[in-house]
Amino acid sequence: MALRTAILRHLRVPVTGSNQSQTGFLGSIRAFSSHDDHLSKQEVVDRVLDVVKCFPKVDPAKVTPEVHFQKDLGLDSLDTVEIVMAIEEEFKLEIPDKEADKIDSCPLAIEYVFNHPMSS
Amino acid sequence: MGATKLSGMQKQVLSLYRGFLRAARSKPATEDRKRIEMIVSTEFRKNSKEVDRKNFQYIEYLLRLGHKQLDQLKSPDMVSISSVKIN
Repeated sequence: MALRTAILRHLRVPVTGSNQSQTGFLGSIRAFSSHDDHLSKQEVVDRVLDVVKCFPKVDPAKVTPEVHFQKDLGLDSLDTVEIVMAIEEEFKLEIPDKEADKIDSCPLAIEYVFNHPMSS
Repeated sequence: MGATKLSGMQKQVLSLYRGFLRAARSKPATEDRKRIEMIVSTEFRKNSKEVDRKNFQYIEYLLRLGHKQLDQLKSPDMVSISSVKIN
């Protein structure tokens, strides 16, 4: 019995603190969703294509929404990193490495940006 | 060059490259940023041509070196970098 109370004394959890942080978290999500002018698919397509066309090594005439960066545009993996970073900058995103490694074509880039809630 | 699946080591290199470009982006002056991007991309491209892709030990060494340099570049005190050609 003495042991039990001793353990309970140590197990006390500050409930109010964790509650507060939870509302803070939810509050920040609401703040993000409140500017809800989400991009249209067409706008995403146009802006992604513009970024790709502006890339120095790319022939703008070859760029369509279906192109693959390496197969169709003759770019290498370092160029692909640069293009994906330029897309990040255009849409004010930060794409984590794991996702960024998968983006190797216009369709994948468009899909990623369109589905990202923070793109603007 | 077709779309091939990247090896673990290639991913590490690309991730390091991304890290350098992010660090460059964090520098306030556009001029410094451009210069950093130039030097970094030249260096990566040079090594991608010159280094034997089977020479894992050397690539691992370059990765470690790169990470050290990246840590230095990330410091806000470090405004820019320059390269010196030694023949």
